[in-house]
Amino acid sequence: MKITKKAKREAKQLYRFCLLNGLLDENRARQVVQRFVATGERDCLPILTHFLRLVKLDCVQHTATIESATLLPEDLKTIVQTELAHRYGLGLTTAFAQRPELIGGMRIQVGCDVYDGSVRAGLEALKRSF
Amino acid sequence: MNAFIFLVAAQSDSQVAQIARTFGVDWPHLGAQIISFSIVCAVLYKFAYRRILEMLEQRRQQIALGIANAEKIKAELDKTESQRLEVIARAHTQGSKFIEEARAAAARVQQEETNKAVAAAEQIMNKAREAAAQDHDRMLAELKREVGNLVVQATTTVTGKILTAEDQRRLAEETSKQIAV
Repeated sequence: MKITKKAKREAKQLYRFCLLNGLLDENRARQVVQRFVATGERDCLPILTHFLRLVKLDCVQHTATIESATLLPEDLKTIVQTELAHRYGLGLTTAFAQRPELIGGMRIQVGCDVYDGSVRAGLEALKRSF
Repeated sequence: MNAFIFLVAAQSDSQVAQIARTFGVDWPHLGAQIISFSIVCAVLYKFAYRRILEMLEQRRQQIALGIANAEKIKAELDKTESQRLEVIARAHTQGSKFIEEARAAAARVQQEETNKAVAAAEQIMNKAREAAAQDHDRMLAELKREVGNLVVQATTTVTGKILTAEDQRRLAEETSKQIAV
């Protein structure tokens, strides 16, 4: 399926309708999609496909994945969430996960930004240096 | 001769007559014989002796011509011999020159081929050195990689066991500080 420039432009416009104070509002997004489908637009599928991509990108950019070798204490989780909110603003969803293969430390990914302080990352860097 | 005889007879007729009579000379008969002998001599001179002389003259000329030709031939032969010697000498000189040139060319070619062989050998040596250096570098890199892998594996195995809860917290806090930077 080919997504034309016009479809991209309209999908971006729909995406802007879904923003509330610079953040994506899920309810508004559902309403926008329902109404758009109800209009019976001819290029409905390509526009919604691109709209879905934009929403996914937004979700990824506003989701922080925090991985650690061991379970983090609650106070440390709070500190991390505070730091992330300070850096990326409110509306950031955080997800904590335990990954023993990291050996030690923590790995945080927000969109394309990665903060990797794990022992595994250090060892990989050491391995690459050889 | 007859005139001389007649003159002598006229001057001393008496003595001559006496001697002629003593020796039995018959003058008419003697005169006739002299005449006939003269005629024979003239005929012989005209028809035989002169031709023989001409033939002898021709032979003499032929012999002189032959001698002259022989001398001429000898001179030509000498000249030819000298020319032959000169040609041989020139050929010898030229041959020596050609041989020298051939030797010089052979020496030059040998030198060039030697230089080429030396250059080729040098090139082969350089390539061999480069190949050896590359192999050395590659093996060194492989060795480092292997050692690195072993170090990483050993560290991975050991680190997880020796990290305490405080270490884990400290590491996590360090990562958290990276966000604030």
